Amino acid sequence: MNRRNFLIQIIFLLLFLVFPARVFAEEEILIGLIPEENIFTQMDRHRPLAAYLTKKLGTRVRFTILSRYGDVLDRFMSRKMDGAFFGVFTSVLAMEQLNAEPIVHPVNLDGSSAVQSYIFVRKDSNIQGVQDMKGKRIAFVDKATVTGYLYTLSFLRERGVQDPKVFFSDISFTGSHGSTIYAVLDGRADIGTAKSKIFHQLAKKEFSIKEELTILAKSREFPDSTLFLRKDLPPAIRLQIRDILLSMDKDAEGREVLKKLESMMFVEAKKSDFQPFFEIAQKAGIVVKTYKYK
Amino acid sequence: MKKRLIYSLASLFLLFTLGSGLSMLYTYRISHDLESVINLHRIEIVRQSFVINIQNVQSNLYATGTVFGKELDTIVDNVSAMDDSIQNCLNCHHNPEMTERLNNVHNVVEQYKDAISYLVTSTANEARIERLKMVAVGIGDSLLAKTQEMATIADKTLRNRTIEAVKAIKKSRVILVITLAVSLVLALGIAATLTRQITAPVYELVNAARMIASGKVGYKTGYTDNTEFGEVANSFNAMSTALQAEHDKTEHYIEQLSGLYKVTLSFYDIFEMEQAFQEICTNISDILKVKQTILLLFDEKQKIYTPFASAGQTSAGLRTAMQMPLEKVVDLYQKSEGRPVIINDTGQAELFRALVPEEEHEQNMMLAWLNTKEKILGAIRVSDKNGYFTDEDSKILIILANHMAVAMENADLYRNLQNNMAELRETQEQLIQSAKLAAIGELASNVAHEINNPLTSIIGFAELSKEDDDIESIRMSLDIIEKESLRARDIVKQLLGFARKKPLHLTEVDINAVVKEVVVFSSSQTRMGKVRVTEEYSSIPTTTGDIDQLKQVFLNIITNAIHAMPDGGGLAIRTFTMGEYILISFSDTGQGISREVRHRIFEPFFSTKKEKGTGLGLSISYRIIQDHLGRIDVESESGKGTTFTVRLPQKPPAKTA
Repeated sequence: MNRRNFLIQIIFLLLFLVFPARVFAEEEILIGLIPEENIFTQMDRHRPLAAYLTKKLGTRVRFTILSRYGDVLDRFMSRKMDGAFFGVFTSVLAMEQLNAEPIVHPVNLDGSSAVQSYIFVRKDSNIQGVQDMKGKRIAFVDKATVTGYLYTLSFLRERGVQDPKVFFSDISFTGSHGSTIYAVLDGRADIGTAKSKIFHQLAKKEFSIKEELTILAKSREFPDSTLFLRKDLPPAIRLQIRDILLSMDKDAEGREVLKKLESMMFVEAKKSDFQPFFEIAQKAGIVVKTYKYK
Repeated sequence: MKKRLIYSLASLFLLFTLGSGLSMLYTYRISHDLESVINLHRIEIVRQSFVINIQNVQSNLYATGTVFGKELDTIVDNVSAMDDSIQNCLNCHHNPEMTERLNNVHNVVEQYKDAISYLVTSTANEARIERLKMVAVGIGDSLLAKTQEMATIADKTLRNRTIEAVKAIKKSRVILVITLAVSLVLALGIAATLTRQITAPVYELVNAARMIASGKVGYKTGYTDNTEFGEVANSFNAMSTALQAEHDKTEHYIEQLSGLYKVTLSFYDIFEMEQAFQEICTNISDILKVKQTILLLFDEKQKIYTPFASAGQTSAGLRTAMQMPLEKVVDLYQKSEGRPVIINDTGQAELFRALVPEEEHEQNMMLAWLNTKEKILGAIRVSDKNGYFTDEDSKILIILANHMAVAMENADLYRNLQNNMAELRETQEQLIQSAKLAAIGELASNVAHEINNPLTSIIGFAELSKEDDDIESIRMSLDIIEKESLRARDIVKQLLGFARKKPLHLTEVDINAVVKEVVVFSSSQTRMGKVRVTEEYSSIPTTTGDIDQLKQVFLNIITNAIHAMPDGGGLAIRTFTMGEYILISFSDTGQGISREVRHRIFEPFFSTKKEKGTGLGLSISYRIIQDHLGRIDVESESGKGTTFTVRLPQKPPAKTA
């Protein structure tokens, strides 16, 4: 063995000792969550899933909150995330702009795997229709959500409201479906719009939601939040994650995790699941590729 | 006592359990108080952790702008830690007031989380976001204020609880010390009482046992109680009573044996018949505790059995009634089959009416026969015993009767022996007298024979001289007459020497020197007789004796030895000591002396040398040595030689005669 080969071997050995994980394995899989409710509650709900995946994969899996809908795609890229649970709108944006792949989406406890958008007011607000909403304060979730903004926008347009900024006295974006519901419940807004799943989840814990709020309109059904993984993630890991999630309702530990998520199971997601979105977008006058959602 | 032991041990156990229980109780209280204080400290740590977490979140809010990126994870983690802190608080046990306060804080925490979540997720202009941030920060501040308020309360509680805990510890310590001291005192008290209760009766019993051991049989302990010791004491007293009874019985036996011994002593004097029989009757009365004892014996002259001796007040009528002819006695003996006759009720005498005269009004009577194999010697009759006669009494009377019969038989035998001895002694004296006369006759014969020879020569030469005219011849005859006369005189001298003892002239004598001198003196004789003399002298002490007489003895023995070896031989002379004696042995290799001759060699005039000796040498030597308190022994084997050993005491004889 000559001296040069020996030096090369020493260098490789040092590199291995200093950067073993980066060179040979995925150090961590980071998955983003779109804020649908109180972000702390949402994180609490997803921590068992992170532990479950970590155990099954053998690689640490961590969830992080993507603070606002509008920043979702930027954050996804800037933080070099490996995947994220997206809503309908952000799913479409992810497919269109990030070329991400839909993997799975959860099935609710009642067996449904779709969600609706609710438009609701306080029962004591005397708002019974669009005509009663004029001059009132409306709270949306975010511009980049179908159930928390886009459906309501199309609903209002269908009923003659072309410019919400003029029609309402105050427009606010709460950033999450839960915050929107609590904004109306607490009287910080008169009208609210949010995802049906979150509405019912919160109503189980907060009885005043059903007692004090009334739903004025419901949209058609859309696919629920869907897990996307980045296209360049090693296919083996991608498939492994998919398989783990699809089969986790088969073991007791997995069922416990699903219970915490208030889901029955995960089912495979397809691009065609998002077709209804485009009709709504059209009605709302939105071109997805050029839509300024920030 | 068993119950007392059980109660005492149970008391000790209860005391121990009580002490242990109290110790455990106070230890539990102390540990509980300490645990409580530790818990309060732990709560304070939780509270501080909670405050730190709120402060972290607050600082996150201040440090972060309106756009939340990666730092959102930190906020989420900090809020999560804060949430865990308050959950920890809620999980602890608190009083209702504290629970209400904590619930209140928890609600504010939830509001805080909502506000932060709202702030973090809201999409609005900067003013609105800033307003939302201020709302969140405001809630955070109020949370800190509430927490601080709780900290003040908790601090006060902690201080109070610590003071209480310290007080409780001090109190517990005092109570524990008191408990231990009281337990120790009580345990010692119980142990001392128990020990006293056990040892007191033991000492009492030991003392009683010692009393009995020292001879106070029948001693009873005064200890009584209801315990096992009381039972032991009762048993001990019963044993002592039994021992006393046995002791009395033994004493009674000893008394009887003593009496028997006394009676048997009288048997040694049975030769003084009347007096001895009187003593025997008196002793029998004492032993059997009877008022009257009569000894009946056979009177050879009158041929009847008659009272020979008696004790107590025996009436003349009774003595007369007891005089019975031989036939009557034999008849009674046969009726009783030789066994003792016991009549405890004199009215029921039946076959033995003759033995109980009615007019004597005796209470009871017992009779034992004195008989040998051949004849009935007599009987012992006892009567008027206080109570009645027992088998034991009859056994004693039988023993006495048997002993007495044997003694009387022995007395008869002894009397016969004495008579025989007297006859024998008389015959012996007659024999001795005859032997003396024979010895004198033999002596006279020997003397006459010895003297007769020179006298015959003297008479013969005297007659020759009368008829002889030759003066020379007459002178020769006179010489012979003189010589024979001197010989006769020597014989008479020796005879006188034997008959009259010569007194000893005692001086200090060196035996070795005397023997050597005699050997030298006889050397011409030994040389002529071809006798080889060997001498062996040991270191012996000097003694006291008559040198000349001793020389005569040694010379006589040596001369005899030379004569015993006519063809020559060896003579070994040895001196040595043995015990308190000086021994001088003379061993020759001659023909030896036969057993018959050996018994007679010290007799006067006994000689085997015919004309050579007078037969007085050894007799005189024997007497000389006897006068020196010594003796001469002879050992001889025919054909092998003879050894004469003269034995003289080392200490000089005290007398000179």
